[in-house]
Amino acid sequence: MSAPDELFCWEGDWGLPSVDTDCLIVLAYAKFAGAPLKVQKISNPWRSPSGSLPALRTSKGEVLSRPSDIIIHLRKQKYNADYDLSAREGADTLAFSSLLEEKLLPALIHTFWMDSKNYVELTRRWYAEHMPFPLSLFVPGRLQAGQQARLRLSRSDHALDAGEELEKELYGDAVECMNLLSQRLGSSKFFFGDSPSSLDAVVFGHLAPLLGAKLPSERLQRQLRSLDNLTHFCANVLLLYFPSDGRENASRKASSQAEGGDVDHEPNKRRKQILSGLVAVGAMLAYALFTGILSIQHVHQRALESSPDLPADEEDEDED
Amino acid sequence: MSLAAEAFVSQIAAAEPWPENATLYQPLKDDQILLSDCASSLAVQTYLRMCGLPVQVACKANAEYMSPSGKVPFVHVGNQVVSELGPIVQFTKAKGHSLSDGLDDVQRAEMKAYMELVHNMLLTAELYVQWCDDSTAAEISRPRYSSPYSWPLNHILAYQKQWDVRRKMKAIGWGGKTMEQVYEDVSQCCQALSQRLGTQPYFFNKHPTELDALVFGHLFTILTTQLTSSELAERVKRCSNLLAFCKHIELTYFKDKST
Repeated sequence: MSAPDELFCWEGDWGLPSVDTDCLIVLAYAKFAGAPLKVQKISNPWRSPSGSLPALRTSKGEVLSRPSDIIIHLRKQKYNADYDLSAREGADTLAFSSLLEEKLLPALIHTFWMDSKNYVELTRRWYAEHMPFPLSLFVPGRLQAGQQARLRLSRSDHALDAGEELEKELYGDAVECMNLLSQRLGSSKFFFGDSPSSLDAVVFGHLAPLLGAKLPSERLQRQLRSLDNLTHFCANVLLLYFPSDGRENASRKASSQAEGGDVDHEPNKRRKQILSGLVAVGAMLAYALFTGILSIQHVHQRALESSPDLPADEEDEDED
Repeated sequence: MSLAAEAFVSQIAAAEPWPENATLYQPLKDDQILLSDCASSLAVQTYLRMCGLPVQVACKANAEYMSPSGKVPFVHVGNQVVSELGPIVQFTKAKGHSLSDGLDDVQRAEMKAYMELVHNMLLTAELYVQWCDDSTAAEISRPRYSSPYSWPLNHILAYQKQWDVRRKMKAIGWGGKTMEQVYEDVSQCCQALSQRLGTQPYFFNKHPTELDALVFGHLFTILTTQLTSSELAERVKRCSNLLAFCKHIELTYFKDKST
């Protein structure tokens, strides 16, 4: 336990510590259990030791990438958020986690990755803007293909191109699932009493991105917002366990918006004008050099070199 | 089944009572059916028996291709064909037969959650053992699955099925699991069910629900099916109250049939 474990996850935005469900689950669980992780927030999956995010590099050099494996690893290190739960509550945790995975996750994948409006305007844009240049061209598409495969195979009985019907069914399941969760939570602060457990982390991980993201097509989001206790639950977790992220992101967003507003005004515009002017001048010069000026000089020099019988002239040239 | 069709079905269903000649279709019982299909089929049969709805079981070699969703079992009731437990439960509910009416909101949420737990862990583990364990796939799953077909179709269909299941496992993150991890998941799931059941006769006290039917269908099939390794059944047997639960349901609902 000399070096702390290192956790790699997606960067945060929208007032969340991370934008990815799995990363949020792990981050929340680590906070709940008080595990001292060295968190690396990155936006380049190739920099992760496993090639995907989240990933945990343990002090022994092992790399874990599935959230359940990471949670089990933390539990083995005595960072257990479920310590106070009865066996019956542990069973409920497992059951409700399955419910989320089977009923809510497909609709979330659909909302963020399949819904063309959301994908183009929000998801792909976010990932592309946060990745370094060559990766931003193809990694978002690859991520989408992965999610699409997952959705299609977990619903093998339906063709994905059944569009409307599939959407209705997924969203119907998801709304039912959110209602069930809301009923289970009732008016308590967390799912099992006053302290958070792994189920709280799982629910938070699934719901928080849906609440935080500014989705252009917000069908599912509207449904969730109408369930007050779940909305409060997410806000509460953010406030209690990720106070800095919320503020940091909010301020960063405010500043970036202010900058964004300035784009049409002086400094950036002037810089762009100068840059494009330079590029144009450079291009014209190069063209001129390659076609005209350079060849003329060559001809001129060659003409001079091929006339050795005029030494006086040559000397003149040298002197010049 | 689409929502529009579902609404239509439930409208018609409400008007007609449950007929005497309802039929449940499943693959051939002796030569063809696999653990996971057998479990799902038994769950539906148990559910219908709990509701007191008569159904005849028909074994067809091509049941999988007859089913509207591509999954077995499915029931043929009057003019309708409905597949899988979830839609069948909704269908019977529309006809006025329901086992979960007596539950409050929190209990209903728990019931749904535990049903998803069975789907998510037990069913997936059954599929994993059947198709991703090489010896089970070679000795049991592929020969049985393709038994009604002649060469070369039998090999094509069996490998196609195996490939589909393996791709699905990879997509849901089970691709990298070892058999030991899968058995560990089964243990975990059984322990959770065992904890939830406690000493009650059914999961929600005195009255059976669709959760009881589903759990019975899977556990009973795992306990009574011979595989290359008995590890799966051993894991279930560690929870004694689940064994008692299976025996109890078998005696209550299948007394006439069990020989």
